[in-house]
Amino acid sequence: MMLSNCTYEKELTQALKDGHWPQGCGQELRAHVNACGTCSDLVLVTQTFQRVRSESDIAAPAVSPSLLWWRAQLRRRNAAEQRVAQPITIAQTFAWSVTALVGIIFVASQYRSGLHWASWWSELVPSRTFHLLSVGSEPVGWNLALLISGLGVLALLSAVVVYLASEKS
Amino acid sequence: MRKPDTTGEYAIPNVETRGASRTDQLPMDSDAFSGFYQRSAPALRAYLTRVSGNHALADDLLQESYLRFLCATCPEGGEVNYRRYLYRIATNLLRDHWRRPRAACLDDVPEQFLAARDGLKRIESQVTLDPALLQMRPRERQLLWLAHAEGYSHREIAEITGLNAAGIRLLLFRARRKIARLLRKQLDADRGQA
Repeated sequence: MMLSNCTYEKELTQALKDGHWPQGCGQELRAHVNACGTCSDLVLVTQTFQRVRSESDIAAPAVSPSLLWWRAQLRRRNAAEQRVAQPITIAQTFAWSVTALVGIIFVASQYRSGLHWASWWSELVPSRTFHLLSVGSEPVGWNLALLISGLGVLALLSAVVVYLASEKS
Repeated sequence: MRKPDTTGEYAIPNVETRGASRTDQLPMDSDAFSGFYQRSAPALRAYLTRVSGNHALADDLLQESYLRFLCATCPEGGEVNYRRYLYRIATNLLRDHWRRPRAACLDDVPEQFLAARDGLKRIESQVTLDPALLQMRPRERQLLWLAHAEGYSHREIAEITGLNAAGIRLLLFRARRKIARLLRKQLDADRGQA
C-alpha cells in the first residue's frame, strides 16, 4: 500500500482537531475532501473516534480517586520499608555465608587431623562443664580456638562493613 | 500541581521517613489528584477498553496506571505532560499484559468485544465503531485511538508507544484506510436495514 501525500492533510487534521470542520473550512477544502479518498477517510475516522471519545467522558470511573491515592501512599511506604530492610538482609546473608564457610573449614581441618570427635566428646561429657583451660592446655587446641574466634570476629566485622556500605549506597 | 505536602485526609502516618527526599513524595496531593483523575480517567478508560477489548482488564489496568503514575517521579510541565505520561504507563501495561504467556496475545481478537455491560444501551457511534475495531489488530487500535480520539501527534504517539516516529505515519495511514473501509461498510449496512 502506497502512502499518499496529500497537501491538504495537515490543514484538515488541524481543522478536525479544533472542531472547525466543516463549517469553519473553506469551499476549496470541502470540495477537495469530497474528491480525495485519503482526506475523506481522515474525516470519517476522526469524527467517529471523536464522538466515541466525547461519549466516554460521561462514564464515571469505577474506582474513587481517594482510594487510589491511599493505595499509592501504601505502596510507596512498602517500597521505602523494603529499601531500608535491604542492607540488613544483605548483611545477614553475608554473615551466614561466612559462618557456613568457617564451619566447613573447621570440619575439613578436623577431618584431616583424624576426626577425633568421639574422643573429644567423651572427654567433655563426664565433666558436664566446658573447661577452657583444659582445651587450651594443648597447643593445637589453642590454635584452633584462635582461628575460630578470629574468623568469627572477621565475619562480624565484614557483616557490619557490608551493612554500612549497602546502606550508604 | 506538584506539591511536596502529602499530608491530607487520607494520609497514612509515617509515610514520609526521616530525611526523605523530594522524589519520595507523591507528585500531587489528594485534592489535586482527585481533580486530575476525574478529568483524565474516563478517556484513559475508554482507550484501554477499546484497545484491550476487555472491560475488566481495562479497569484493572486503569487502576494500576494511576498507582504507578503516583508512585513514579512525574515529568514537569503540567497536566498535558501528566496525561501523556499516564498513556505511556497504560500502553506499557497493555504491552506487558500481551507479552505474558497466556491464551491471548497481541494479534488475538477477543470474543464478546465491547459487549454492553449492565444492560446499558450503547450509543450509536459506539455501535458503528466497535464492530470495526473488532476487526483491527490491537496495535492499530492503539494508534488510531491516540491519533484520532486523543489528537496526539506522531511524535507524541512515538513517545507513548515506544515505536519509531517515522514508521507511525505509515502504520497509521494503513490502519485509517482499513477502518474507514470497515466503517463505510457498517454504515451502508445500517442504512440498508433502515
